Amino acid sequence: MEEIKMAEKDMKLIVNGKRLDGRNFDELRKIKMEVNVLERTVGSAYVEWGNNKVLAGVHGPREFHPKFLRDPTKAILTCTYNMAAFSVEDRKRPGPDRRSVEISKVISDALSSVAVLEKYPNTGIDVFVEVLQADAGTRCVSIVAASLALANSGVPMKDLVSACASGKIDGEIVVDLMKEEDNYGECDLPVAISPRKGDVLLLQMDGNLTRDEYTKAYNMAVDGSKKIYEMQKKTLLDSMVNFVEGEQK
Amino acid sequence: MNIEEYLRKDYVTSLMREGRRIDNRKLDEFREIKIEKGYSSEKAPGSAFINLGDTKVLVGISMGVGEPYPDRPTSGVMTTNVELRPIASPLFESGPPREKAIEIARVVDRGIRESGAIDLDKLYIEEDKVWIAFIDVHVLDDGGNILDAAGIGAISALLDTRLPKYEDGVVIRGEWEGKLPITCTPVPVTNVKIGSNLVVDPNLDEEYARETQLTVTTTDVINAMQKSGIGVFSSEEVDEAIETSFKKAKEIREIIEG
Amino acid sequence: MFNVKDRESVIPGQLVGENVYCTENCLSEDDKVYSSIQGMVRVNGNRGTVIALSGAYTPKRDDVVIGLVVEVLECGWLVDINSPYMSVMMGEEATKNVMEDDLSRYYGIGDRISVKIIRVNEVYNFDLIRPRKLNDGFIINVNPKRIPRVVGKRRSMLEILRKKTGCNIVVGQNGRIWIKSDKPDNAELAVKAIKKIEREAQTSGLTNRIESMLDNEWRK
Repeated sequence: MEEIKMAEKDMKLIVNGKRLDGRNFDELRKIKMEVNVLERTVGSAYVEWGNNKVLAGVHGPREFHPKFLRDPTKAILTCTYNMAAFSVEDRKRPGPDRRSVEISKVISDALSSVAVLEKYPNTGIDVFVEVLQADAGTRCVSIVAASLALANSGVPMKDLVSACASGKIDGEIVVDLMKEEDNYGECDLPVAISPRKGDVLLLQMDGNLTRDEYTKAYNMAVDGSKKIYEMQKKTLLDSMVNFVEGEQK
Repeated sequence: MNIEEYLRKDYVTSLMREGRRIDNRKLDEFREIKIEKGYSSEKAPGSAFINLGDTKVLVGISMGVGEPYPDRPTSGVMTTNVELRPIASPLFESGPPREKAIEIARVVDRGIRESGAIDLDKLYIEEDKVWIAFIDVHVLDDGGNILDAAGIGAISALLDTRLPKYEDGVVIRGEWEGKLPITCTPVPVTNVKIGSNLVVDPNLDEEYARETQLTVTTTDVINAMQKSGIGVFSSEEVDEAIETSFKKAKEIREIIEG
Repeated sequence: MFNVKDRESVIPGQLVGENVYCTENCLSEDDKVYSSIQGMVRVNGNRGTVIALSGAYTPKRDDVVIGLVVEVLECGWLVDINSPYMSVMMGEEATKNVMEDDLSRYYGIGDRISVKIIRVNEVYNFDLIRPRKLNDGFIINVNPKRIPRVVGKRRSMLEILRKKTGCNIVVGQNGRIWIKSDKPDNAELAVKAIKKIEREAQTSGLTNRIESMLDNEWRK
């Protein structure tokens, strides 16, 4: 396995100033968003981002168990990130692993920073994220979908959460890494922001970046997040058309 | 306690006394079935997204290489796993599959295994190496009758499955060597008893009102049966359920293969 | 100054206006007011509100809701009201002699009742009074935020529904609606009309459209 990786590491990720899938350095993959896609949840969203397919749904606010962990001042928001066994090429064993527990936690933290949880004391709000097909950057896709689902559910929020990753491939800083770039690139920097104020809600990094490269990569991720925000906004506003203007004949 | 169950059970039962269903279907009528094969085709060798009314199930097939069972050294292996994801219902909890998920997985598995739908003998690679077909059922929205949705999804996904290329002891990802050999199309049909009536494809409200249920998986013959839930059938009712199941399976098979 | 027009859709975090009076479903920061939910803005002079599209039911004083008895206790009944918060209805609502009477004689597990909510505090403890048992019929769930439209101005919509379908209808503010009719076709028509109201809750001229829809269906 290591040998293959070493052999392919020589693979060029940038050819003639373009990336392997023909994108420019600051270009996002193709993205599609939809809300209100499930019947049994109070809010739901579906996001296709490149080859990623992610479904998010919200149950609650509902009674929180166990009782002694309830918070009489606010609701407790818990996100559960799960990958389908067939979402990756080598079958993933079902059930939580350390990676999905960590991602669940950072998404819960980001969402809890914007949700007005004081409105529902003593309750629990559960956000479930199902990765149906994974192709690099699932934590950003998940957080975007989860934020749409939460807004769709009617839980009050100070702002939406928008996210995008940037990274370094062949020495160049680029936005929104796809699978090969993620595997063989030098760095991955996922960022989630609240678009109104630009506050950072999630920031992770692995790889290596100089101080200047970091600044460039961070700004690129934030610019990407802002594009994502415009799409989220349009998705939510479009979903209200029937509600306000009546059904199209 | 399931609140929704208490809110609507009596109404479903009282309608059924007049031979009516809550969504106006005939007793032997399925909800609309929509099948999208190849839903996760970028990663999974085979997949199918099933909408059965508003029940949503995604089935993915993964192909791995492993050791055969000692008693059948030249046959491939299949396994079936069902995940009732909490996103699908406020009543589902996180954690490893519980008895309901395991029962569904086993009923789906039996239909495919006993009908010989996967030609396992063609999955032999070399000594001590055979293909393993993993059938993973991911339930995403429980609007009732997830068992039939899972069964229809599993065989649809298998029909969609490509066999990965295998060279010098390594699976080449993203390259294919033909299709997974499938010989027939087993279809499960679940019959539930409400009052003195038998109906197929219960929606969620009807599941709350059901007394008991019988699933019959058929090809040309009966391949698997499962009575599930507390409550009883008369032997005449079982006969009726088998007749209906053959008839409905034939219609559904055309949708799956079409 | 409002940043949005009357009846405009907004999303969480969107600027509604500056130096305006707007509290419901909004957040104020300095002079600026932002929406905290996905919904529709109504503007009236310098005042505005954001009407919610969805969201859980939280108990409000004087609301009449449809509850389900989930447990019979020694002092009363535990009642589910389609909300994250449950409440105990005191035995005194049915009998003068709570200690000696068998409370399950009045309401048992699974019984559906309409009740009024009183005395709600900040952590949503509240009391339930004036129970009325809802026998037979069935209950549908509607998005609680759209219940005001099912009732209509001065109960106009509800009256139309009752008159044109001939059904007995009780609307709970918690999103549960009880419907009873001897004819399943009528009940079905009522459900269809209510679902339409739910889908198109904030459109104008809804009452007229529902009325003509019911008239048309009737002629069939």
